[in-house]
Amino acid sequence: MDDKTEVLEREQLDIEILRDVNLRLPAVAPREAFPAVPLTVDARLQTRAVGQRATRPDCRMHGLGQTKYIDDIKLPGMLYARIKRAGISSARIKRIDTSGAEAMPGVMAVVIGKEIPVNSFGPTFQDQPVLAADRVFHAGDGVAAVAAVTEQIANEALEKIIVEYEPLPAVFDPVEAMRDDAPKVHAPNSNIYATKVVRKGDVEKGFAESDHIFEGRFSTQMIEHVSLEPHAAIADWDATGRLTIYATIGRITLARADMARTLKLPMSRIRLIGTTVGGNFGGKNEISQEPALALLSKKTGRPVKGVFTRSEEFTSSTTRHPIIMDYKSGVTKEGRIVARQIRLVLDGGAYCSWSATTLGKACILSPGPYKIDNVLTEAFVVYTNKTMTGAMRGFGAPQVCFAYESHMDDIAKGLGKDQLEIRLLNAFDEGSSSPTGQVLHSVVVKETLNKAAARFGWESQS
Amino acid sequence: MKRRGRGIGCMWYPIGFTVDANPSAATVKVNEDGTATVLTGTVETGQGALTVLGQIAAEALGIATDDVHVVSGDTDVTPMDTGAIASRTTYVTGNAIYLAAEAAKAILFEAAAPMLGVKPSQLEAKDRRIQVKNFPQRAVTIGEVAFRSQVVLGQPAIGSATWNPPTVAMDPETGQGKPFATYVYATQIAEVDVDDETGEVEVLRICAAHDCGTAINPMLVEGQVEGGISMGVGMALQEEMLFDANGRIVNPSLTNYIMPTSLDMPEIYVDIVQGFDPTGPFGAKGVGEPTAVPTAAAILNAIHDAVGVRITALPATAEKVLAAIKAKKGAPKQIPR
Repeated sequence: MDDKTEVLEREQLDIEILRDVNLRLPAVAPREAFPAVPLTVDARLQTRAVGQRATRPDCRMHGLGQTKYIDDIKLPGMLYARIKRAGISSARIKRIDTSGAEAMPGVMAVVIGKEIPVNSFGPTFQDQPVLAADRVFHAGDGVAAVAAVTEQIANEALEKIIVEYEPLPAVFDPVEAMRDDAPKVHAPNSNIYATKVVRKGDVEKGFAESDHIFEGRFSTQMIEHVSLEPHAAIADWDATGRLTIYATIGRITLARADMARTLKLPMSRIRLIGTTVGGNFGGKNEISQEPALALLSKKTGRPVKGVFTRSEEFTSSTTRHPIIMDYKSGVTKEGRIVARQIRLVLDGGAYCSWSATTLGKACILSPGPYKIDNVLTEAFVVYTNKTMTGAMRGFGAPQVCFAYESHMDDIAKGLGKDQLEIRLLNAFDEGSSSPTGQVLHSVVVKETLNKAAARFGWESQS
Repeated sequence: MKRRGRGIGCMWYPIGFTVDANPSAATVKVNEDGTATVLTGTVETGQGALTVLGQIAAEALGIATDDVHVVSGDTDVTPMDTGAIASRTTYVTGNAIYLAAEAAKAILFEAAAPMLGVKPSQLEAKDRRIQVKNFPQRAVTIGEVAFRSQVVLGQPAIGSATWNPPTVAMDPETGQGKPFATYVYATQIAEVDVDDETGEVEVLRICAAHDCGTAINPMLVEGQVEGGISMGVGMALQEEMLFDANGRIVNPSLTNYIMPTSLDMPEIYVDIVQGFDPTGPFGAKGVGEPTAVPTAAAILNAIHDAVGVRITALPATAEKVLAAIKAKKGAPKQIPR
């Protein structure tokens, strides 16, 4: 009798607890795991929404480890793909033998570059193959993709694929690549694949009017985005002939267009779902392995997942452009910049990718946020047989900022001026004209200089 | 001996990109209860964009951030968007969402005007209500209006809009033109300790003052600044992909591609400089990329200030800094036996 009463009471208690639970919370962790009153919940409830420190609706899922990234998604019957990488920087592909891999138990399909309907893509120039077919342009190029029932089998199958290469001359240094006698990465085209010029006033006249001339050469390194989540996608080519791609990509509109182009499919037959992106920083602005995954899915009739290894993130995805930057500035003895001449050489890697935008931003921004009447910037982006360079947080701006700000300090030191004062003397004002002749609005450079200096406790030493 | 130095990095950065057009489209649907759904083709890439876009829609409709649900990232469902790149989301996609919300609101005002006996132009949306300007006591709830508009009048409050930043193509010869609609500005000042016996650089603190126009969500702006600085520290001191003579990467792993961890991070002080851009949604511009731009410059200038050596090739690894210090001092001294 007593036992029954207890059971009843407990059931009632459970119901009571359920009533108290806010059903909008994921039903996972015990209630005690959450703070009784979330600290910033009020900000989300304010009806002046702008300016509020509103928490993100996805943060609770992230905090609880409940967010589903591509690697957490498993569709029924799904296969796992791996890509064989060339490992040689410049070569002609003489022969690809995939029969050994195809004969392995558990291997469901292999795809090579020749099978891709339009084997090229790229946002500006379509110079990048999905899988290298005849020619390898850098060591990270894919040459074949395998789909197998497990990732381990797919990995083993890569070893069974035999590729015969005829090595070709390669060039790795961008300055060397600019020379006429350098090996052409994409022969017969010149290695200089884009140039940009910004010319304002007359730099020679400006130098002649200057009291001092300062010169410097600066260079930066190749950097990888290192997103926590690597490039990953699932392709599902279903029986109706419709293709669904789940991808960790920041630009689904462009990605769908690239898929339609490479696979020769109408856009209406492609659905691109951008899943939660585990870090992008510019590295996930375009497709990579997706067309190969789609063809593997078509061949097998099953969904196919591909996830880059950390190593592939370095060898086979875009990176930050190394830039060689030459600066020459003419200044008055008071420290005002009269003229600035700049030459930028961007190491463009094996494919254009987002180099055109990077070149443009680097070129336009390279004089710095300063009023200079006479500017000449010439910028070049050059093919080399290295990992492709592309979009990365700042599109060339961190590189040129390092150069123009180092140069600025050299000028300050040369003139015996305080580093803050020389910047305040030259910085843009509201209505200043940019190097491209654009009249600038909502300009607050000096406010940022003064605010940072005040917070830092900057004291002049001049 | 550790030597302390300070350095400034000041920058400007455009919002959006050049080369091609840069449009966004958006749809805002006001539900019958006065909450709203936003459709956008952008993708949340971890920066909190969807929260900010929801705040923009909420502000335009006079409701709370929590009342708005943002649907994103599905080409079958959402309108086109140029994407989560080039620090453009708040500015370009935000403007499209603002315009779409205004279009939906206009439908609500049409429905509310006869309810309140005024013209639509005399109405405003505030605190989840549609009210007569200057007479806030004459009001109906947005839920009531949305329900009436859809169920009684047969005019669901759905607005769609597109926005593309106005630019002027650059002259190919001179580069003169208006390549971007607007720019943001920032200054970061770094304080470092440089060990002149080992070349090791420790970044102690960074004071970052950033302009983003109106900060739609100051907390997310601070998050961007902190993240950008961590990338800047890596660029300044550690990260570098190295190649062998045959063009193969020799350090394609996190074992020997060194990047900052939380232990390498300096103290960060963020100031958001008050700004307002009339071309942005509620005065907002953007902040994503610029946060990573001036950090390396500030750190390298601080190293120069500390030990008097100018590292001109990034990254300023301990080996490189030490070699520069030794070169400055002249021939390395022999250790006495």
